[in-house]
Formats: sequence, structure tokens, C-alpha cells
Amino acid sequence: MGNIAHRLRGALIPLAAVIIVLAVLPMAAVPRSWLLYLFLFFVYLAMANMWNLLCGYSGLISLCQPAFIGLAGYTLVISAWWGLPIYLGILIGAIVAAAFALLISIPVFRLRGIYFAIGTLVVPEALKYLFLLWRPIGGTIHGGGAGYVLKGATVFSTWEIYWLALGIAIASSLCIRIILRSRLGLGLASVRDNDRTAASSGINVFKLKLYSFVISAFITGIAGTIFYVYQQYIEPTSAFSVRWTMILILATVMGGMSTEGGPIIGAVIVVFLHFLLARYAGISLIIQGTLLVAIMLLIPQGLIGFIRKTQAYQSLFQLAHR
Amino acid sequence: MALEVLSDLSTPLIMGILLGGLYILIALGLSLVFGVMKLINVAHGDLVILGTYFAFFAMTGEILGHRLTFLGIDPIVSLVIGLPLLFAIGFAIQKYLMSRAVQISMEAPLIIAFGISLIAQNVCQRLWTPYSRGLTTSYALKSFSVGAFHIPLVYLLDFICAVIVMLILREFLRRTYLGKAINATSQDRRAAHLMGINTGRVYAFAFAIAMATAAIAGVFLGLTFPFTPTSGVSFLIIAFGVIIIGGLGSMLGTFVGGMILGLAQTLGGHVLNELGLPGAATGQYLFLYVMVLVVLGLRPQGIFGR
Repeated sequence: MGNIAHRLRGALIPLAAVIIVLAVLPMAAVPRSWLLYLFLFFVYLAMANMWNLLCGYSGLISLCQPAFIGLAGYTLVISAWWGLPIYLGILIGAIVAAAFALLISIPVFRLRGIYFAIGTLVVPEALKYLFLLWRPIGGTIHGGGAGYVLKGATVFSTWEIYWLALGIAIASSLCIRIILRSRLGLGLASVRDNDRTAASSGINVFKLKLYSFVISAFITGIAGTIFYVYQQYIEPTSAFSVRWTMILILATVMGGMSTEGGPIIGAVIVVFLHFLLARYAGISLIIQGTLLVAIMLLIPQGLIGFIRKTQAYQSLFQLAHR
Repeated sequence: MALEVLSDLSTPLIMGILLGGLYILIALGLSLVFGVMKLINVAHGDLVILGTYFAFFAMTGEILGHRLTFLGIDPIVSLVIGLPLLFAIGFAIQKYLMSRAVQISMEAPLIIAFGISLIAQNVCQRLWTPYSRGLTTSYALKSFSVGAFHIPLVYLLDFICAVIVMLILREFLRRTYLGKAINATSQDRRAAHLMGINTGRVYAFAFAIAMATAAIAGVFLGLTFPFTPTSGVSFLIIAFGVIIIGGLGSMLGTFVGGMILGLAQTLGGHVLNELGLPGAATGQYLFLYVMVLVVLGLRPQGIFGR
């Protein structure tokens, strides 16, 4: 454990400063819209971190993240209707998402690479239809499908929700940092690079991938419930929507897949795009799709990879390590 | 009593088999691209829907809220333009995007296809609004009766068209130079390259042909079901189910896979109706997806796969 703590060091002081500034920000008189954009940034960052763990480090192109988000969100709403406190609902939601990941790992882990991707794509679609049919609570139904209002969320102040999101963003980044520097991370790296060699060196490939799948479901679930605490309303078509997957892929790919900083930069860009494209809502998907294609073709390593390759960075790096 | 249940089931059975035809039609292009390039084109469903919207445009003349009254072409006739159009789009996608993507990494083609799918969705939404539409031709609502049951005419058209397209595709792959080249390239790209086949071009043509079948599938889809710009994902999943159940790359498998999914849907809907449960229309899709997941779990290589 001491070993891990040692490996975790590096750039701690500037990081702590940034976190403290972000934490006290709601108390300063900043506009509410800023807090909203930051909130979205935190939630997307947590989810993108987890997608990066799957796709960038474990070689699992998972398209079923909306399933975890929607399931955790619905669990939260249902448990709130039963009168459970919100915090407990968040925890139960995340546990349900993780348990569900365990359950669907039975069929989808038999698939590899691209098959895995499509196999997981089926899951949120199936859940969407399930929740369109199933009426878990007898309360008022809003909208055409089975939309529900989150009971008792009005007691939460904007600050509290903001801090919750900040908390999960930090926790997810820390989680990635710890995983990458632990035996699990080393195992995952070897599996990603060549799973046959890893398996023959005594690494239990299946177990490692399952761990990262379940961890990712758990944290994505928490981030999803926090989003629904903010939104206070859930509905199947948007909860299990492909849009979630798009945001996660966009953030991770633009920032740089398989890098720790990638999702951070990517999530900033995604939120900035939200802000920027609000006026062009009609064509925002065209722009985002084009960006995705262009970045993948021109700088496949993302912005982080691009910066690292530039001359200036290389010389700075050499200076620092002299 | 038993006979009664049987005659009760005969309508969903026939409907399921005919509906399977539509699913085969949608899956053919996905199967071809996968078979040749080992690439799952996640934009397939949205490009099929693009084809549907083109037929809708040709029929009603509606675009960007305007109505061009001089149009009014029958959806099936509109394929004269729609088919080459999607063929060209497919050729361009493979030539300019996918051919580069495969050299980058394993997930690059998938992510790029994802980007294309977003663009296609947004284009449809922008040009033809997000509302649910349908290709309501004079024959789209007709049905005819054989003995005791009534069959919608479009379902029969779906099935006939699927069989025709499948046969044409098979003969094309067997008899023409390009078809043989596609076959050779899918078996061993390097060997085909050494034999003097321009494999890059073959890939582009394979993708283009897949998109041409998508144009046909799009028209028949629009005749059979209502559609929205985001319908693509559901049909992508169905098409994927068809080829995964049948085993990837096998023509017979695709045929059987389409039948199974068509039957799963109509029989599932029938059972829900019989049990008096609400939401049979939504529930039958749930049956489909669970079916796909179960097959994936039990036999990921498909029923006919090796």
C-alpha cells in the first residue's frame, strides 16, 4: 500500500489548489450558469474516466454505459418513492448498476472486440423498452412513457449537488490513478497490449476485465444518479439514450484515449461545445459528429497525444528530466 | 381446441416469416461489409433510414418545411435515383474515411462510423423534422386474404424483394469479376493483392454495394413501419441480431436469422396480446432484443457459425 501511495505522487500541490478553488466556487458570487456547466463537466468527467478505463485500458469497447446510468437513475427514483433518503438511493443505484454489469457480463464477455461493442449496444435498447413497459411505481406518470419525478430532491441546494458532482469527479480520477498503478492496472495494460501473452504469463484475463467492467458500472452509476438528482426527472428514452455514449466517446477521444488527462481535457471541450452549440442546436450533432471523425483521422491520440508530439513539449520534457 | 390455437397462430407465423424478409434486407449490407472488411458499420441503420427519408422526399417533395409539389415519385421507383446516391455515399465513406481508419487502430473505424451515424441522424432531422413519418402509398395499407388470413401486401413485397436481392447478390459474388475479387479479398487480402487485385478499390465497391442494398432496405422499411430520424439504432440492432444468430458471413445463416427474429417479434407480440398485457407493440421489440442477447450468451458464433 505504501508503494502505491508513493507511485501516486506528482503534481499534487497545483492539483489540490485547483480542487480547493473549484470547491469554494459556489460560495463566491459566480453566475448560476457557470455552476451548471461545471456540474456537467464533473459528471461527464466521471463517466468519461470510466469509459477510458474500459476502452483505453482494458480493450473493452463498451457501448452500454447508458444502461448503467439509466438503471442507477431509475433505482434512485424508485427508492426515493419508497421513502429512502437520497444518499442511500445513490448508493443503491450504483450497487444495482454494478450488479447488472456482473449479470450482463455472462453473455457479453463471450464476445471480443467489435462483437463486444455491438453486444453491449443491445443492452440499453432492451432496457429502454423494458422501462417503457414496466411501471415500477404507481404514482403520476409524466410524458408518453414511464417518466417519473424524483421525490424529495427539492431539499437539495445547488451547492450540495455541485459538491456531490465534484466529489465523484475527484473520486473517479483518483480511482483511475490507483487502478493504473496497482497490480490490476499493470495486468490490464498487458491484456490490452496482447491478451494471449498476458494469459500465458499467468494473468486471469477474464477476471481483470470483469473487475474493470464492474468498477466502471459502479462509478458511472453514481455519476448517473447525481445527474438525476440535479434533473429531478427520469424518462426511459433519454435515460438509456445513445447520446450518453456519444458524450463519453467524444470526451475521451478528443482529449486522448489511454491517457489520464485525456478525459479531463475532453470533458472540458464537450461542455464548452454544449455552451457554444446551444445557439446551433439544430446542427449540433452534425458538428460533433464531424469533430469526432476529424479528430480520429487527423490526431488519433487526441489533444494530449498531439501536444506530446509537438516540439515545444518534447524540449520541455527533456529540460524537466535533466 | 388444438386446431383452434394453431389457426390462431398461423397469422403471426406467416407475418413473422414475411417480416423476416425485411430484416434480411436490412442485414444484407451489414453482413457484406462485415464479411469483406471485418468491420461492423454502426452507421448502417442510420444510412438505411437516410434511404427511407430520400424515398419520403421523392414521394412527398417535403424538405426543410417546404413542399416541392412537382415531385410525387413512387418510393420504389425513386430507387432509380436513391440507389446510386447511397452507392456513391458508401463509396466515398470507404474511400476517404474507413480506409484510413483501419490503419489507425481497432476502435477507430467503430468511432468514425459512430460519428457518421450522428451526422446522418442530424441531417435527417434537419431536413425532415424529428416527427414520425411513413411512406403511405396507395398499396402500403392494402392487404389480401389467402384462405382464412389477411396478409398486408407490403409484408409480401418485403419478402419477395429480400429473396430477389439475396439471389442477385449471390450470383453477382459468384459470377462477375468484381464479385470474385470481393470474395478473394475477404478470404485473404494480401494474397488477393499479390494476384493483382486492387483491394482498396474492392473494399470501396463492397461498401458501396452494401449501401445500395441499404437504399432498397430503406424504401421497404418505410413502406412497412413508421420511422423517425433516430429509428436507425433499433434497426441496426435487429440487423446485427440477424447476422449474429445466423453466424457471420453465411448467406443461409442470414436468411434463417431473419426468419427467427421476424417470428420472435410477431409471436412475442401475439403472446402479449393473448395474455391481455398492455404495450404489445413495445413489448415485441423487447422480445427481439432479449432473443439477441440470449443467442449471444449461448452461442456467440451463431447457429450456423463454425
